Amino acid sequence: MGRKILFVTTDQQRYDALGCNGGTVARTPVVDALAADGIRYERAHPQNVVCMPSRATMLTGQHIRRHGVWMNGVPLPAEAPTVAGLLNESGYRTGLFGKAHFEPFLDPFLRFPENRMGVSGATRGEAGPHRGFERMEFAGHGAAGLVHYGSWLRDNHPEHMAGYFPVLDMTLEVNPDGGGDTGAPQVKHNPVPRDIYHTDWVADRAISWLDGLDSSEDWFCWLSFPDPHHPWNPPESELHRVPWRDLDLPAGYPADASERERLLDLKPAHWRRWYDGDLVSNYEAPAKWVPASLTSDQVLEVNAMVHIQNELVDEALGRVLSAIAARGWDDDLDVIYTTDHGEFQGDFGLLFKGPYHVDSLMRLPLVWRPAPTSTGQPAVVSEPVGLIDLAPTFCQIAGVDVPSWMDGVPLPLSGDGVANSVRAGVTTEWDSLHPNGTEVHLQSIIVDQMLCTRYEAGTCHEGTEGELYDLTEDPLQRVNLWDDPAMGATRDDLVGALDETLPDRPATLLPAEAAV
Amino acid sequence: MAEFTNEILIDAPADEVWAVVGAAERQAEWFPGMVSSTVEDGIRTIGTAAGGFLLEKILTVDHEQMRFEYTITGPLQFEHHLGSLHVESEGDCSRVSYTQEIRPEALTYALRAATGDALIGLKDLVESGKYSRGFQEVEGVDA
Repeated sequence: MGRKILFVTTDQQRYDALGCNGGTVARTPVVDALAADGIRYERAHPQNVVCMPSRATMLTGQHIRRHGVWMNGVPLPAEAPTVAGLLNESGYRTGLFGKAHFEPFLDPFLRFPENRMGVSGATRGEAGPHRGFERMEFAGHGAAGLVHYGSWLRDNHPEHMAGYFPVLDMTLEVNPDGGGDTGAPQVKHNPVPRDIYHTDWVADRAISWLDGLDSSEDWFCWLSFPDPHHPWNPPESELHRVPWRDLDLPAGYPADASERERLLDLKPAHWRRWYDGDLVSNYEAPAKWVPASLTSDQVLEVNAMVHIQNELVDEALGRVLSAIAARGWDDDLDVIYTTDHGEFQGDFGLLFKGPYHVDSLMRLPLVWRPAPTSTGQPAVVSEPVGLIDLAPTFCQIAGVDVPSWMDGVPLPLSGDGVANSVRAGVTTEWDSLHPNGTEVHLQSIIVDQMLCTRYEAGTCHEGTEGELYDLTEDPLQRVNLWDDPAMGATRDDLVGALDETLPDRPATLLPAEAAV
Repeated sequence: MAEFTNEILIDAPADEVWAVVGAAERQAEWFPGMVSSTVEDGIRTIGTAAGGFLLEKILTVDHEQMRFEYTITGPLQFEHHLGSLHVESEGDCSRVSYTQEIRPEALTYALRAATGDALIGLKDLVESGKYSRGFQEVEGVDA
């Protein structure tokens, strides 16, 4: 009997969401305890800051350029190798519960297997395990969507369908409407009972699957919570947890508009252009919403909603861990907790995400609690790691050789700096070709505590722009050192390291087959 | 506004291809992911495999030019949509072009990909008598 693997992901969660990372609002005792007993990574970066590319990297252990999912709406090729498939072939039972998003959501003609499963209620792929998972039960960001949760809610609690915020409007653009107390975009008071909210449904489905496994079996369970991604509409019954009026404004939000605009003007042009409503470069941010209209109260209410959603996730995870312990598996259980990317939540006066490579979107929570029977000791790792390293880590836990098609390396168990001796740094890429013609390309690398972003020519950039931040001296990334003559050599070294680390772009980009 | 065109060459005479394309009520036979297509008073109602529907106003059925045009009118509320199919002879074969214009652009990529599938479905139906995915399942017809 080997080690069991519980892989827990949230969606769009910031590093500072968790108590163990210094968060002071949401109570997250479950993941905090995992961190205390395990390894807490202080610099985990995604390889892309939107869902589909990031999730494809988690599943394959590959750079964006290798698996080819360069933006939301680009499906991971059906033949792509996956760590779930590898573990399944090695005898692991495999299941995914919650948000997958390896294939596009926006699929009116059911072109993609995940969506056909969600609509039909099938929990197994049409030709056997799908992407390596024997069982899959999907949830998205609410009642709508081609997912099992939506079908289940419609069949069992149709009266609560309308309680969720409608993510898309009638033109299928992201809905810019506001709600709650402040009119903040994508906020809604949701009367759905907590026990049928998608967070608890995801935990219930995972527990049900685990209950059906034989005690002697090894398993890999991806517990994939859709929260705290927008829309921000947690059960209304839970709003008492974090009254938004009691919060302090986040450190990253400059309350003074002129200061916000001054900071944005120090960055490449697309920052200010989005803020002013002059640019749409990411479908997931409502095109008809102008960030400059965001008020301080709206920032507070969005943050309160997110904190509440984070608490519900933590409690749901606690239920899953209790069920696992009741089966006697705890001593052999590895838990890895992370997310796919971050969220602005008011930083720089912005919400949502896009081609902006700063900590808001890139510094992620990552905790690994190795099986107590293994030899690991609690540690804090400050050297940069990536989500690209997860799949190799799962292989290592399972005693499976890391295949050559994976680009990452197993996560370090201590902060001795050895793991990153095999690469120059951790990279993140963004390529967008919006149907409206907007084209943005940037790549970043983090080495030690220096974060460097290079821009290529597009519709917003000449190709000479960049961002360079000393994260130790400038934790909020407000002082762009790219054009500082004293930092020229450092900048050039980092750009060289970026070129050295990233594989070449594929000769042909995979086509985007949906907006998301 | 976004605009895209997909094309395909079909090994059949143009009038044979047009007999399918120009019959608005037959679209579900060859468009994967559509499960029904009915026409009443110039409005085509499309049932989708995802459980939804589309309402389309038929704008042009030009048998001489072999051109078919329609616009999606509901329940989606586009500022602008125009779909047009055109069949032309090319030697002993036919070239079919399928163009869509759309604003706002959110559905552009999904429609472009689905339209590409649809032209393959049209070729399959005309050349091999094979019905599309959703239509097979709903109607219980053989491929």
